[in-house]
Amino acid sequence: MIERFVHHLCVERPAAGETAAEARERLREKFPRAALRRMTHLGLLVGAALDDAAFAAADAMVYATTFAETRALEDYLGSFPTPSPLLFQTSIHPSAVQQGLIARQRPLPRLWPITGRARLVEHALLTALLEPAERCVLIGGEERGTWMLDHGMASEGAFAFAVLFTSQRAEASGRVNFSPAKATGETGARDGEPCPSLADLAAALAEKRPLRWRGAAGDWSLAWA
Amino acid sequence: MNPAVDQLSVRVAACEGLTPFGDAAATSEALLAGRVALQRRAVLGRDGGDAVPLALLGPMDETLPPRWLAALRGLAAKIPPGKWGSPRQPVIVSSSNYGVGSLHAFTRDHDPRHVQHGTPFACVELLRRELGWGEDVQIFSHACVTAHLGLAHAARLLHAGVADRVLVFSFDFVSPFVAGGFHSLKILNGAMPAPYAAREIGAIGLGDGAAFAVLTRAADGGDGGVLAAHALHNEMHHFTGNQPDGAGFATCATAISEAARGRRVWVKGHGTGTLEAGRLEAEAFARAFPGAPLVSWKGSLGHTLGSCGLVELAVALAALRAPAKRIPGTVGSAAPTFVDTVALAPFDARAFDGVVLTSNAFGGAHAAMLLTHD
Repeated sequence: MIERFVHHLCVERPAAGETAAEARERLREKFPRAALRRMTHLGLLVGAALDDAAFAAADAMVYATTFAETRALEDYLGSFPTPSPLLFQTSIHPSAVQQGLIARQRPLPRLWPITGRARLVEHALLTALLEPAERCVLIGGEERGTWMLDHGMASEGAFAFAVLFTSQRAEASGRVNFSPAKATGETGARDGEPCPSLADLAAALAEKRPLRWRGAAGDWSLAWA
Repeated sequence: MNPAVDQLSVRVAACEGLTPFGDAAATSEALLAGRVALQRRAVLGRDGGDAVPLALLGPMDETLPPRWLAALRGLAAKIPPGKWGSPRQPVIVSSSNYGVGSLHAFTRDHDPRHVQHGTPFACVELLRRELGWGEDVQIFSHACVTAHLGLAHAARLLHAGVADRVLVFSFDFVSPFVAGGFHSLKILNGAMPAPYAAREIGAIGLGDGAAFAVLTRAADGGDGGVLAAHALHNEMHHFTGNQPDGAGFATCATAISEAARGRRVWVKGHGTGTLEAGRLEAEAFARAFPGAPLVSWKGSLGHTLGSCGLVELAVALAALRAPAKRIPGTVGSAAPTFVDTVALAPFDARAFDGVVLTSNAFGGAHAAMLLTHD
């Protein structure tokens, strides 16, 4: 069994129709002015979720997103045949995390940007659980797309979350637990349950709702104190 | 022990690569002969633009099915048999591009078939079905250090006992999307890259590349090299620049040097051909590994982006496994170089028992791994 405890939690769930400009205005106090004007909606939400995480220099970070920088990608594609250098660099994974950390000049030793869909939450949690750093922050988020949404290549909504995991049980508000399946008898076939989506995880974190499922070589649970 | 270093030894049970020269052995031989795969081609493919150095496995324009699929099928045929993508034999896919080039093709041609593999998850899903992998396929994406993350995470899975073997599979194929982006940043220009050369204009080239490695626990035995340590660091100083004092490079170089203490190593550097990053990297590794030869192969192969860590690992292993045990020099570069440890010509690997392989990425991301080959 591998277990970590929740010691800080922040979930950003903006109003459904919030634009990047509106988020910029709402969250302006959290970022240096010079950086603010170039930040994307996802970068703002992720940066805001991280704002209160009270980072330490040795912390590690896992970043999970299925669609990442959708709007920068759409706008970069629209800049051809004279591609925009700013939109190019902003569209590259894991720009959303880098926007906030570069604005705050906050180095970190290990950053694990993960993408995917069906098993993304499992993979992100497993990466966080295997991180030997005393403290590991799991971040996730999406922003709403425009034309890419019409093709199933973007999120329908915007959100972000940051969870600080440590190995300290005392004063924890929750815990995540993974019990690996036995090494013998595996067939490669998955008889488990669907893994929660990133949006499901964000909602469970916001509501402090427990989650339990079987998948990725073992059993998973998120429980609250 | 430095907390920034994972010292979780794993064996490279199998490793192969693909570049415009062919497989890893053919690539190593071509580099030893001083051949350059980069050729000047239109930056936007059929839409023209400036001629820039690209090393391609075929025409750059996106096709249906995507041009990388057939090449990856050929590479995957060399993967040892296994229940890949099953819980105990997971797959880690690492890339910085995935199928993103097809999004540019869609916006240009409006053919909706292009978008079917435009996102990383859809691209990997196509690959998973084509190659018969199960559902346990994890996807990393951290620009040009991605392959290092895949290898480092694989070592963690093995040491945690949650996997018996891990397949790390990496590919990046150049498209107008990415070539246009680097051209807009002015580092992909008309000049050929000359890694670590002290000259007036910096330049990179881009290349197609793919590779895989099968990792097992070191105790499982075998004749492959051992990946003994990984070091990672993220400056978060600037999107496309580094801390001007080289502190980011020094942090990573120092960390991996501690893991390599007592060994006689050579260094396969990142060395894209940019001036400032090249100088900072060369100086940092010359300090951390006094006298160790430093090479880069991107002056010939171009920068294979998120896959460069694994492609160049495959080339290094092929060079070490060849009877002559000669390591290719820094093809495409010339004196004067930033430091005198830059190896412009091939050298004998038998004087060494380890190699440090490094990569860097946007955001000041640094990665280094130690491969022991005694």
